[in-house]
Amino acid sequence: MNREVNLERRIRRRSLLLGISKSFFTLLVLGKLFYLQILQKSKYGELSDHNRIKVKILYPERGTIFDLYNKPIATNRTDYQLSVFKEKKSLINSYISKLSGHISFSDKELKEIGENIKKQDLSDFITIKRNLSWNELEFFEFMKNKFPFLIITKEKVRSYENDLIYSHVLGYVGFKKDVGKNKLSNLKVGIAGIEKKLNSKLLGSDGWIKFETNSKGVVNKELNKKNAIPGRNVKTFLISEIQEKAYMEMRGIRGAVVMLDCISGGINCLVSSPTFNNNEFSDGVSVDEWNALLKNEFNPLLNRSIAGLYSPGSTYKLITALYALENKGFNPRTKFNCSGHISFGNRKFHCWKKEGHGNIDLQDAIKKSCDCYFYNLAKSIDIDGLANFSNIFSYGRQTGIDIPNELRGIMPNKEWKIKNRGEKWQRGETLNTVIGQGFMLSTPLQIAIMTARLATGKKIEPRIIYENKTFEKLNLSQSNLDFIKKSMYLVVNDNKGTAFNSRIFGKKMAGKTGTSQVRKITSAEREDRVLKNEELSYKLRDHSLFTCFAPFDKPRFALSVVAEHMGSGSKVAAPIAKNIINLALRKYI
Amino acid sequence: MTDIFFKLKQLNWLLISLILFLSFVGFVMIYSATFEEENKIFISHIYKIFIGSLLMIFLSLLDIDFWKRYSYFFYFLGLILLIWASFYGYLGKGARRWISIFGINLQPSEIMKIFLILSLAKFFDEKKIQEPRDYFFLILPVLLVIIPFSLILIQPDLGTAMLVLFVSIVIFFISGINWKFFFSFGIISLIVTPYFWNGLKEYQKQRILTLFNPENDPLGSGYHIIQSQIAIGSGGTFGKGWLKGTQSHLDFLPEKHTDFIFSMLGEEFGFIGTLSVIGLICLITFITYNITGRFIHDIYCRIVGYGIITNFFFASFINMSMVIGILPIVGLPLPLVSFGGSSMITYFIGFGIILSIDRNLNSR
Repeated sequence: MNREVNLERRIRRRSLLLGISKSFFTLLVLGKLFYLQILQKSKYGELSDHNRIKVKILYPERGTIFDLYNKPIATNRTDYQLSVFKEKKSLINSYISKLSGHISFSDKELKEIGENIKKQDLSDFITIKRNLSWNELEFFEFMKNKFPFLIITKEKVRSYENDLIYSHVLGYVGFKKDVGKNKLSNLKVGIAGIEKKLNSKLLGSDGWIKFETNSKGVVNKELNKKNAIPGRNVKTFLISEIQEKAYMEMRGIRGAVVMLDCISGGINCLVSSPTFNNNEFSDGVSVDEWNALLKNEFNPLLNRSIAGLYSPGSTYKLITALYALENKGFNPRTKFNCSGHISFGNRKFHCWKKEGHGNIDLQDAIKKSCDCYFYNLAKSIDIDGLANFSNIFSYGRQTGIDIPNELRGIMPNKEWKIKNRGEKWQRGETLNTVIGQGFMLSTPLQIAIMTARLATGKKIEPRIIYENKTFEKLNLSQSNLDFIKKSMYLVVNDNKGTAFNSRIFGKKMAGKTGTSQVRKITSAEREDRVLKNEELSYKLRDHSLFTCFAPFDKPRFALSVVAEHMGSGSKVAAPIAKNIINLALRKYI
Repeated sequence: MTDIFFKLKQLNWLLISLILFLSFVGFVMIYSATFEEENKIFISHIYKIFIGSLLMIFLSLLDIDFWKRYSYFFYFLGLILLIWASFYGYLGKGARRWISIFGINLQPSEIMKIFLILSLAKFFDEKKIQEPRDYFFLILPVLLVIIPFSLILIQPDLGTAMLVLFVSIVIFFISGINWKFFFSFGIISLIVTPYFWNGLKEYQKQRILTLFNPENDPLGSGYHIIQSQIAIGSGGTFGKGWLKGTQSHLDFLPEKHTDFIFSMLGEEFGFIGTLSVIGLICLITFITYNITGRFIHDIYCRIVGYGIITNFFFASFINMSMVIGILPIVGLPLPLVSFGGSSMITYFIGFGIILSIDRNLNSR
């Protein structure tokens, strides 16, 4: 009996113990729940959002660039891109091998993926393939169940209406160099040309989109988004038809064409040849392609219109003549005899015409481009005075055009010679300079600016981006300017003028040819026979130059053409200029 | 007929309504877990709740003597089904747990828990422990436990096997067996454990090891625990709202209609929801304790009552501890809430027996 009571007591005790252990268990679970749901709520709430919410950066659409007549020349196209969830980047390699055969990855793209993985931007996605073709898109749509954590997105990317024609003036876009730390690592910025100059205006600002995704990597829906703000549009002075015409005229020729509006200073066309494909550049060129362009002996990346340096040749005689008239009180009716050469010091200076021009005055000398007449003028010219005067016409100065990397050329003077050659200026060098040879170098743009300033008598400044601007008058005598303009008129419209073959009927054109010598002709060669241009190797042939304005009585367009190693100005550059000016006069006046 | 009405009137309707309310929670959660995909699961769950409740009421009307008389018979019946399942049952998720009778899929290990409790109770009821130091007679009940335990373990179903072992230990404990028995049992277990561990399948070892450091392998076994904790934690105080759990509905939470249904509850109904369910489970346990505690002299009823409620309570808390990261993921459903017919019907049967005990007590 006693034992039974004992057992009963033990059983009660053990029931109680069981109850207590259950209560303990209950408290443990409640405690953990309290910890998870009350104390750590925000941590787990964030983790839960992080699981499902994926942020994608919306890159802004660049502003459109228009020509003067509002024809778009730089727009945007829709680019379909394949991206992977950033947290699943370990899957990239297996996906690439699984996708190959249907969606191929070039070495360049594989390298880019490697770089993209390292980028630490705000996006939860890594772009692994751009420029998906329709076939690739179709394949992916069909197979996407087999590729969780991959999504297709649309992006607007820069696209130029023409691959080649605007490359130098518009430039191109590309990634910034220090992308590692950038929070917008896929943002493309202007690298050259107008794209670079007006980057901040064209760029716009980015937005974002939040997707809700499930654990299987499928995007369920958009949660919310902030739209990207597209960049602002830009209007330029370019006239696409003229630009195209100039490009066509320059095909197969290396050189540059610059045409500007003498009233507004607007650049209507700016062509440099050879060129490159700026659409390819904007999509990203490979190192090989880039190196090939850099090694190309004709340097297609150089914008010859603003950074190609040439001796202005006879086109510069206009400035020499005006300087003599303005500063020396030179009488234009003064005649000098041209026998084909003159002697100065112990050197002989030759005219381009071996038999000479005979007894001629200044106007004839310009018209026929007689060198001897200018040698005679040069005898009384101080180089520093001429150099200062030339600065007015932008020689040796930047014109201030609104795209980067403009060169200012060389307008030599005494100080320049000592600084750069370590020697004193020789009087004979003035003779070379007055006919635009010797040390002097200028850009095609500078030559066009000279012409525009001569034609208007105003300090015309070049602009590509549209803007209303008026220009102050240059401090020059109108009669002297008229004399120079009349001479330019005769160059083209007098049957003795060097560019008579390129004359235009109706609205008259005035201009000046130039043939800039690349080599030094030895006296031995002169004794025998000066070699014809065609007989020389390409690199030694003369540059063909021409600059002009039209119409003569009411100047509107000023133009310069440089055709490298193409011989005399009248043969190549003048006809090109005539064709372009003709189109401009017919349609855009 | 009047007899049946009289018996029905005697039932503990408070306990019945609490049990039905708990299964209603399951009904609500299963709807949320499955409404997006297919309603097959949900409709099947409604049927099971319905059949289970009817079975519970029916069994509650039987006298407890019926169970007492056929305890060993049921045990052997269960054992046969279990052997069938463990050796000839069909494979699902790497385990041989299920058998099919007349097109109905059964998991004999679930019902075996009840039959084991009944036969242990019968054993201790008949062999009144006169001399606690005489352990020799304990060989039979230990065998009663070891045989089904081993059969379930080799399926393998770690969760149910451990629960069987645990409930059995509680029954031995509650029967008043001397401490020394447990002490020597513990020593034997320690010796056997390494052999037992080597016998475990790799994924089972992995599941246990994961408990110690879930962050080690976030996409492997630890992934489930982490995602489950995120689901519960992100529910906060009031939850994200019914049908609005992002972890659950975007499939970050695995097995949301079975083992991880409590995580989904935590996510959608918050701390208020989890607290209510725990409160409900504790209330059911407490009421059953009260009933059982009154049987000082009826060892059979007492052991059956404690056994069944211990099974229910610990199954619930092991499941909850599992999904909040206190215990390893061993694969146990939440009683009366998770989807799974055999488990739910077994708990209804268990409560049917408890209701019958309660009715017998009142009618005495």
